[in-house]
Parts: sequence; structure tokens; C-alpha cells
Amino acid sequence: MSADIAAVTVGDAVAPLERTITLTDMVAYAGATWDWHQLHYDPAYVAAKKLPGPVVDGQVFGAYLVEALQDWLGPDSFVRTIDFSYRNLVFAGETIRCTGTVTEASPDRVVVDLRVDVVGDDGTPSRTAVAPASAEVLLGSADGTSA
Amino acid sequence: MGLLTDEVRALVGAQRVYTAPEPMGAAAGRYFALAVGDANPLYTDAAFAQAHGLAGVTLPPTLVCETNQYAGLPADAEGYAGHTWGLDLPGTRQVRGGNRYVFARRIRPDDVVTATWEITSATEKQNRSGADMLVIGSKATYTNQDGELLAENEETIIFVSLATAPGGAA
Repeated sequence: MSADIAAVTVGDAVAPLERTITLTDMVAYAGATWDWHQLHYDPAYVAAKKLPGPVVDGQVFGAYLVEALQDWLGPDSFVRTIDFSYRNLVFAGETIRCTGTVTEASPDRVVVDLRVDVVGDDGTPSRTAVAPASAEVLLGSADGTSA
Repeated sequence: MGLLTDEVRALVGAQRVYTAPEPMGAAAGRYFALAVGDANPLYTDAAFAQAHGLAGVTLPPTLVCETNQYAGLPADAEGYAGHTWGLDLPGTRQVRGGNRYVFARRIRPDDVVTATWEITSATEKQNRSGADMLVIGSKATYTNQDGELLAENEETIIFVSLATAPGGAA
């Protein structure tokens, strides 16, 4: 369920988004983005590179973070900017969690700090996938306040 | 040090321009949303989108920054079919530093994207382990067939010297 936009204040947590990224998801993403680099699906290729498995395309974390923000703030919001830095590789089959905290809030915009962690079977973060990250979200319209 | 050669420095300001051969298309947006598990009805339900002030379905915002659809390039030996700068720096490995997206508006199915890529910076640094690094900053500006700004994508690519580099980041 979406947040009550009018009630969002500094310190509020973004509703987390958790996803186990299967090799099937990665193949679908490769097709959807026209990016067929073997790093993202080919076991023989990644074995030759001495990697433990196919590597999740880092840009998908931008999509997950935007999804988390839009699910949390609802359709009358517009992600104006998002900024994210990669920290560690994520591999097929791992589970990630997107989280965030509001750092600025006004009636027409919020700014949030964000991060993506790989989480273990017990649900606790095992390493950082993306951090730091932040976003500015405009409120009141699906296409930005200037639309 | 020595990764920031005159040849690399001369690349700052270089541009590549790609125009997609067809509109983005609603199917591309629905496919991407399925691939990332995003069930937002703004991407699939025109009536819902119109109820929220849009002309119809739109595409997931980050797709324009992630797709190679506009490039029209053949896949290389490793299967990659998108824009690169073709930088080959022997004795380094390439990692992604990060991205910054700025969205001007939502992408519509009838948008025909032109992507203008430019190298904005080339900087030599050392990481915390003392390995030499070359940090290449580039920016893609996405416009449509009417010259309307859609989005910008600033990207950082890092070449880490293998001579002193420990194991890896993204």
C-alpha cells in the first residue's frame, strides 16, 4: 500500500523492496535491455573469469530503487533524479533488499537516501551492492509537477 | 601512474550519437516491467494512467537509460550490443562506478530516442589499496524525434590497474 504523501516526514523509512534475482530474471532483463553480454548468463564464460556465477547487471538496481520509490509514494509521484554507486558484484540466485530514509520533505518533493544490500538466508545484510544512493521525487503528479 | 595518457586525455569531449530506428513501443515497456517484476499499472493500464493525468501507458523510467535499443549496433564477441568508447587499456580491468539519472518526463511508447553520448572527464586516481585507476566520466542525453529532452545519464567507468589491484567491485 502506498504512503500517505502528505504525512511523509524526515526520518521516515522507504517501504523496502526485496527480490531474489534468478538466472531467468537476468535472462529476461538482458532481453528487455538489448544487452546480451555473456557475463550475465553464461556459466562457462563466468567460470573462465573465475567468478562464482553469472553477474547481475548493475543497472537493474536503478530500476529496483525507482520501483521501490513509486510503490511507496504511489502513482502521483515522479522520480526526478536518482544517483547510485556500485559497491560489490551480485550473482544469480542472490537476494537483494532496497531500503531508504527520507532526508528532506516538503509538500511537493522528498529526497531520500537509498541503498541496496545482499541479504543472507537469515534476512540480515551480508554485503553492500549499492551505496551511497539518493533520489529526489516530485509529488503531486505522475509526470512531475511541471507536466 | 600513467593510465591518463595524451590519447585518453584527448577523448574528453568526444561524442557519439545514435538514433533509434523505431519508437520505444509499449511492448518494450511491458517486457521490461515483467523482467524486473514491477507491476505498476502506469506501464500496462491506459485507463489507470489517464486517471493519473497521463496520455496513456508510459515506460518504466529507467528503461531509456538501460536499453541498447537505440544503438543499432551488432553484438561484439562477448554479446554486448550497446554503446562503448572502445577503450582498451592493457593491464587493467574495467568496473562500473555508478550512474546518475535525471528524468525530464515519463517516456511514452511513441518516443523515438536519440542518445548523444559524450566523454566529460578522465581522471587518474589511486584506490584505497594503492592501485592506479583511470576514472572516465560520460554523459548520455536522451531526446525524442521533436528534440524534446527525455532524460540524462551520467556514468562512471573505472579502469583499475591489475599490477596492484585487489579483487573486485561492481
